[in-house]
Amino acid sequence: MRRAWRKLLYRLRRAQLEAELAEELEFHRSQLDSGQGGLQMGNITRAKEESRDMWSFLRLERLWQDLRYAARLFGRTPGFTMVAVLSLALGIGGNASMFSLVNTLLVRPLPYHEPGRLLRMTGVYPRAALPVFQQQSSSMDVASASPGSACNLTGEGEAIRVVESNTSANFLSVLGAAVARGRAFEPGENTPGRDQVVILSNSLWKTKFRGDPAIVGRSIAVEGVNRQIVGVMPPAFSYPSARVQLWTPARLDPSKMEEYWGGEYVPLIARLRPGATLAQARGEIPALAGQVRRLFPFPMARDWNAAATAISMQQDLTGDIRGRLIILLSSVGLVLLIACANVANLLLSRATTRRKEIALRTALGADRFRIVRQLMTESILLACMGAGSGLLLGRAALSMFKSMLPPSTPGLSSVEIDWPVVVFVAILALLTGVAFGIAPALSVAQVDLTESIKTGSQRSTAGVWTAVRSWLIAGEVALTLILVISAGLLMKSLLRLAEANPGFDPAHVFSVQISPNQAACSERAGCIALYDRIIAEARRIAGVSEVSVVNTLPLDGELPAIPVDVEGHPKSADYPAPMLWAGAVSPGYLRMMHIPLLEGRQFTEADSAQAAKVLIITRATARHFWPGQSPIGKHIKSAAEAQWRTVIGVAGDVRQFSLAANLPDFVGGAIYMPYAQSTVGARQGVEQIPAAMHLLVKARTDSPRLRGEIRSLAGDQAPNAPVGEVRPLEEVIAVSVGDFQSMIRVFTGFAATAILLAAIGIYGLVSYWVTQRSYEIGVRMAIGATRQRIVSMVFAQSLRVALFGIGAGVLGALACTRFLASLLYGVSTTDPVIFAAVMALLLGIAVSATAVPAWKAARINPIQSLRAD
Amino acid sequence: MGTRSKPAEILPGTLDLLILRTLDAGAMHGYGIAQRLKQVSDEVLQVGESSLYPALQRLLLNGWVEAEWGASENNRRARYYKLTAAGRKQLAVERGEFARMIGAIQKVLELA
Repeated sequence: MRRAWRKLLYRLRRAQLEAELAEELEFHRSQLDSGQGGLQMGNITRAKEESRDMWSFLRLERLWQDLRYAARLFGRTPGFTMVAVLSLALGIGGNASMFSLVNTLLVRPLPYHEPGRLLRMTGVYPRAALPVFQQQSSSMDVASASPGSACNLTGEGEAIRVVESNTSANFLSVLGAAVARGRAFEPGENTPGRDQVVILSNSLWKTKFRGDPAIVGRSIAVEGVNRQIVGVMPPAFSYPSARVQLWTPARLDPSKMEEYWGGEYVPLIARLRPGATLAQARGEIPALAGQVRRLFPFPMARDWNAAATAISMQQDLTGDIRGRLIILLSSVGLVLLIACANVANLLLSRATTRRKEIALRTALGADRFRIVRQLMTESILLACMGAGSGLLLGRAALSMFKSMLPPSTPGLSSVEIDWPVVVFVAILALLTGVAFGIAPALSVAQVDLTESIKTGSQRSTAGVWTAVRSWLIAGEVALTLILVISAGLLMKSLLRLAEANPGFDPAHVFSVQISPNQAACSERAGCIALYDRIIAEARRIAGVSEVSVVNTLPLDGELPAIPVDVEGHPKSADYPAPMLWAGAVSPGYLRMMHIPLLEGRQFTEADSAQAAKVLIITRATARHFWPGQSPIGKHIKSAAEAQWRTVIGVAGDVRQFSLAANLPDFVGGAIYMPYAQSTVGARQGVEQIPAAMHLLVKARTDSPRLRGEIRSLAGDQAPNAPVGEVRPLEEVIAVSVGDFQSMIRVFTGFAATAILLAAIGIYGLVSYWVTQRSYEIGVRMAIGATRQRIVSMVFAQSLRVALFGIGAGVLGALACTRFLASLLYGVSTTDPVIFAAVMALLLGIAVSATAVPAWKAARINPIQSLRAD
Repeated sequence: MGTRSKPAEILPGTLDLLILRTLDAGAMHGYGIAQRLKQVSDEVLQVGESSLYPALQRLLLNGWVEAEWGASENNRRARYYKLTAAGRKQLAVERGEFARMIGAIQKVLELA
């Protein structure tokens, strides 16, 4: 302490101390000279230096000195500094943002009480399963929450469409989450008569009800049913997904067979009871599922949920995005590796060119440790600058990465660059700084003093470090190859998707969703008349050439599948009723969408509610059920109805569900029904006609007037129904591949960065090599080597490194690209065209990065280069 | 590297002790300390400026010696160093330790 205090005092009167010391030494010297001592010993400068060190806060001052020196050096070589900092910024920024995402979405525990004890049962279950699981399980408290479906919210201002999740009464207590206002559902609120309550999400409360503090106790109508608001959730709550805006109790009424056993199948979640283990829970589940299967009032497949088990809720919630996040994380990791290799390489080549300077400093008495530390300071400073700009870059990158994940991902909106990430970045920067600071420092510490000063420049390369640099560059090329091949595969997939025939023509078609309550269609005739009126009115709008209605838009993500009976295909316990995608369309739909009719006839106005029931099936469906035969005249019906419907036509296949895959596995085909005859399944024995429909209008020109007229027409005809935005159908399709496109954009960005870094690396290596060998080249030329010979010598050097890198990269890519498989469409993970093209591309880049140094080598003047030393 | 010449140096770590002991006899300037060490040790111990003055600065910093400007024998301005109370204490401590060390080394040399 006192020492430090004295030092501080010394610091203030430094000039005086210097003068005193000088005088003292002068005195000493004069005494020696006057012959009394005779022998002179030691070095005056050194005495001064060391005394000075004694006065100062040595470490701090040296650090400051090193930093100043480094900054000056960076200022003198702005090109080098910029490339190095930028490389690091790209690598570190990408990693900071990805780490934030992964930390929040995959690592950070769910925001519930003891999240590690929360489970999700695999498979989906009817409501009837809930009481069985709840009563019979000895190791779990079981709850359920449906994934959420659209419904109407009325009775308060304009009717709106919201997403509702049906839950068991205990789902909040099982999750261990609390309401922000009001109360959770109470036990028993799943029973009929007591279920007319609702809990709002924070966002719905804020937007629709303007954060009304007296909201609890008021009533709203959800899909025409009056429900009392009992609670509001806190903003962070987003179970089962961020889409859900309100929660209602799932009514458990065994007398309503359809709702209780059919209807929406929901996932079951559970919390392990105190003392119970995951293994116990897993052991129980198959038996419980089997018990439910035997209770079904209609036969179920024998293997229904027979293999059911439990997974952790965290895994369930992140399942879809886990793969994508890990792929992104590993590719930013690759970019960081490439960046580090590049910067290490840059520093290494600079350290070698600084040999002379360092040799001089050593000769003047700088000790080796001091020089190594100076070099380390430089690289750490570089790393810190990289980390700083990387952090800025990371914020931008984060919003880009976020746009690539489904917006309903729980917790996604709360992801931001946070402090742990800043720490992570700082450590990363320091580690990279030390990592690539060490190699040049070691290389320099081997400087042979006399040798360096004598020759000035190197005549031959210092073997081992050039080898290290070649390895670094080869590694860089290999990593780049992996990234570029991945980007190439994704791009080819996108190309394939764009070429993929969706089966319909979205051009000039506008759509708007009109969604009356399902209850409004309990009188089928009412809804049929409503849409007849809407179609007739829409035809009157100027510029409109065709009009139709349909229950779901292709590629919109909806899946109105119903169980059916197919003539000639009897059901059995092992082959239960197949599910078919059920389209309800007005007669003009197929023609308007340019969906070709391959066989039979179109629907007409004559296929009315009273007429004989008819169907058009898709070609794939026809082939599946009646291969090699004409399906015309065959019969299909909804599983719940008695009367058969007759197939009258075969239409071309349409990518209903996604561009990449047609329909999910459990849907065996697709049928179209005339709207007037249509059904979306039975409820209480009555076939339901779809209430919410999309009005499609074809018009040559898009204008706000047109959109306004379409929307107001829908509003006039269905005053109580929410009416969506008017959207061009092409936009719907664009959204469905948007996910994919942004993924490709990021990969292309990574790949471009990697290519740039690799090009810089190769260029640096070769031009350094040429500079080092200029003497040798001069000698070669002097004894008769031609310029071609010199150029080919340089190319041989660079291409050998590039080819090693490419070879290793191909092996790496063969091993890695299979992890991309889930993202690819129509492209094999080892697509030879892409592999060959990328190899050629990288070779081309190696050649062009070599061209300039090779040209320089060829222009070396032998006389000058021989004289230089 | 290997270019730095190595003059005959004092045992590492003992210079401070030797300076403190020399000053125990009374105030002295830097050159005087060097001379005295040389004389007393029959010219075995020769201290150069590059180790003497940093060592004196170190002792000053630790508060073991004090410095004061005065006139030298030949009437030039010179800086005189003298022991402080803390310096005397330190001298005792270092002497004790040195004696222990030397004794130990002797024992090893004789017996081992």
